[in-house]
Amino acid sequence: MKSAWLFPGQGSQYPLFLDDLPQYSGVIKTINTASEILNEPIRALQTKEKLNSTKNVQMTMLTAGVAAARYFMDEGAEPQFVAGHSVGAFAAAVIANVLKFEDALTLVKERGELMEELQDEYYGMAVIVGLTEVQLEKVVSTIHTEEFPVYVSNRNSPTQLTLSGHKSAMRQVIREVDGKGASSAKMLRVTTPSHSPLFLPVQKKLKERLSSLELRRPTIPVIANRNARVLRRAEDISDDLAESIALPVRWHDVTTVLHENGVRQFIEMPPGDVLKRLANQAFPDTYSYAVTTNGIEDCLYVEKNKGV
Amino acid sequence: MTNTTISSWNKRFEKKQQIIESVNKLVDGLIIPTDRIIEALELLIKPGDRVVLEGNNQKQASFLSQSLVMVNPEKIHDLHMIMSSVSRPEHLDIFEEGIAKRIDMSYAGPQSMRIAQMLEDGKLELGDLHTYVELYGRLFVDLIPNVVLVAADKADRQGNLYTGPNTEETPTIVEAAAFSDGIVIVQVNEIVDELPRVDIPSSWVDFIVEADKPYELEPLFTRDPRHITDIQVLQGMMCIRGIYEKHGVQSLNHGIGFNTAAIELLLPTYGESLGLRGKICKNWILNPHPTLIPAIESGWAESIYCFGGELGMEKYVQARRDVFFTGKDGSMRSNRTLAQLAGQYAADLFIGSTLQMDAYGNSSTVTKGRLAGYGGAPNMGHNPGGRRHSTEAWYNMMTSTDELARGKKLVVQVAETYQDANTPVFVERLDAIDVKKQADLAVAPVMIYAEDITHVVTEEGIAYLYKTDSPAERREMIASIAGVTPLGMEHDLEKTQQLRDRGMIAMPEDMNIQRGQANRSLLAAKSIDDLVQWSGGLYEPPARFKSW
Repeated sequence: MKSAWLFPGQGSQYPLFLDDLPQYSGVIKTINTASEILNEPIRALQTKEKLNSTKNVQMTMLTAGVAAARYFMDEGAEPQFVAGHSVGAFAAAVIANVLKFEDALTLVKERGELMEELQDEYYGMAVIVGLTEVQLEKVVSTIHTEEFPVYVSNRNSPTQLTLSGHKSAMRQVIREVDGKGASSAKMLRVTTPSHSPLFLPVQKKLKERLSSLELRRPTIPVIANRNARVLRRAEDISDDLAESIALPVRWHDVTTVLHENGVRQFIEMPPGDVLKRLANQAFPDTYSYAVTTNGIEDCLYVEKNKGV
Repeated sequence: MTNTTISSWNKRFEKKQQIIESVNKLVDGLIIPTDRIIEALELLIKPGDRVVLEGNNQKQASFLSQSLVMVNPEKIHDLHMIMSSVSRPEHLDIFEEGIAKRIDMSYAGPQSMRIAQMLEDGKLELGDLHTYVELYGRLFVDLIPNVVLVAADKADRQGNLYTGPNTEETPTIVEAAAFSDGIVIVQVNEIVDELPRVDIPSSWVDFIVEADKPYELEPLFTRDPRHITDIQVLQGMMCIRGIYEKHGVQSLNHGIGFNTAAIELLLPTYGESLGLRGKICKNWILNPHPTLIPAIESGWAESIYCFGGELGMEKYVQARRDVFFTGKDGSMRSNRTLAQLAGQYAADLFIGSTLQMDAYGNSSTVTKGRLAGYGGAPNMGHNPGGRRHSTEAWYNMMTSTDELARGKKLVVQVAETYQDANTPVFVERLDAIDVKKQADLAVAPVMIYAEDITHVVTEEGIAYLYKTDSPAERREMIASIAGVTPLGMEHDLEKTQQLRDRGMIAMPEDMNIQRGQANRSLLAAKSIDDLVQWSGGLYEPPARFKSW
């Protein structure tokens, strides 16, 4: 049975989630490396208060994902594909051997800083459940203006979509769809309109940074965030890492392409189990596990035995 | 008369002999050793060849497809693949690797996102999307294959093949190559000294190879009765009363949905209570659906001819040889091409489900951004205009008094008005039209055309579309059974009443069906376990359907 490892994006974090990782020497080694690069203990960045910063969220999530996946690999498990949602894509690139963990952490730190520089309390994201992409696009196109922009951003499932943009425009969309097709429509508590053209400046800077890095050929194919292609070349992975911040994450397509490529087992690296649940929903015939909820030892067992 | 331009009329044959000689050292007679299949394919297939890879919605030549993806793309490239169904990852991997370039196919449901991506990225050229029968037809006209890669259960040492219950389209594909000097390569589950029977003779076969694993077989027609809903029971009762009984339907084909499974399980209960056994549903063209077991056991089915087999039904079918087409050896014989022919020209009725229908009755199961192609429905779900012989149901569709008037095949579409809370089945415009633009197709992938459809059944009632030629009236009829969809909101009560009075539409009450009476308790079997019991333990469901 083919398997894929999935790395979650922002929103799956919770206070002190790094402490939930098993304290194996390999895991501690990755956490220590992170602390050394950052010149401060990374565990100090995962408090409730510190996680208000997107930069801290991204750095701690990258560390957790890489630490857990490296433990699996040290124990002899290996997936046929990797994919990560938004910042999760950096962990996937590390596990595919394209990026060094050290470089990824520095990149993600910069990504977070760039996003924080652009953040503005009037901007953010919202999540709409129950409408299809086409239905939501129709509403959004009537409300979007240059002054109060709003975009359909992430496609997490056929009917779980996010908006990114100006809060007043998003509230207008929510009023328009709530109870009229949408079963749930609410603002997210973030001030970053990620995965929309508003972050084109971040895209440009990330591209520059990535082009100065030495990238290696992937040892595991990676699925792209922006168009769900199977990527087997370092430069394609680098393009996706940079570009996706200003483009929608087509996560449902990512899951679908993995399924069409024969993947029948998904393991979601920590923190959380959002991607595991999305995979289960989209493809009930697959086996999906999350390290956070199923436990790392059980996940390792099914992964080593591919579904036994 | 002289002909100076043509030097030989045997070029194809001479070329084939050369190619076959080139593998002399590799093969043992006509047997390719399992571990040398890749080398053999590299010699037997030439760049640019037209290659049929057997893969339909059931049987897959999985060993050969997995081997083809491993050939050296420098030796074999630009192949033109012809496939009923693109369903396995490696079917598209051969395009990713540059081994193949062009494809003509029918169905790509399980790979529909990747195929759309590859079209967009220029990694694959689409010849056309065909219905099954068209694709088989073109194998003998302008898509004549150079090489065919197919699957059989067993071969003997002379190369005779046993394909048994899963014969499907193997003989059709093999015939297209064998009689045009193409090369026929067959993967078999085992090579034996003596076959149960010969389904394909050795003189049609060039090479056999024992596969490392038995070919893939998908239990596509197994529907667990536990998932049948009360609404599907209601619709099934309406179909039995308002269509099968009303028109005297004797011969029919059922699709694979839960709607038709419900009808099959209502025949021994509801159908029996109406005294319809022996009067309707006697001759079937369909696969051995496990949900048909109770009807067979209750004496409903006089004959069943199958497109293919169904995993787990082998022993049951074998034990019912008066009903199923069975060889001297005792096992069933299927044939997709002949079943398609029978289903089109010799059956009274086709019934299936749809995901989308426009206001005039055009229906489609495609959704945006995907290139799924067609299953068997477009062929089965049309009125073959060349038909001459008359049956009660066919004749019953005649609405004209013209001296040349003729009947019509019954083509029934069953749909619930909403797919889910937000997705109405009835729409102004089919998504298929956008898919046509996106994928640059010549025609929109419509499953069943309005002109062919005779009946639409929803949970609200039946629209007898065959009774009118007027588009405006069709729209009113469909709207009146379209519930609270935007189209359904168009209808007004007075018009609906008029349509009912004129017999253009019928509500459950008009058929003497009480909505409250329509529930799962009417199903002859409510679980897979019940089906096993009905079969006397002969039906052996695949593991994934077992609940105990």
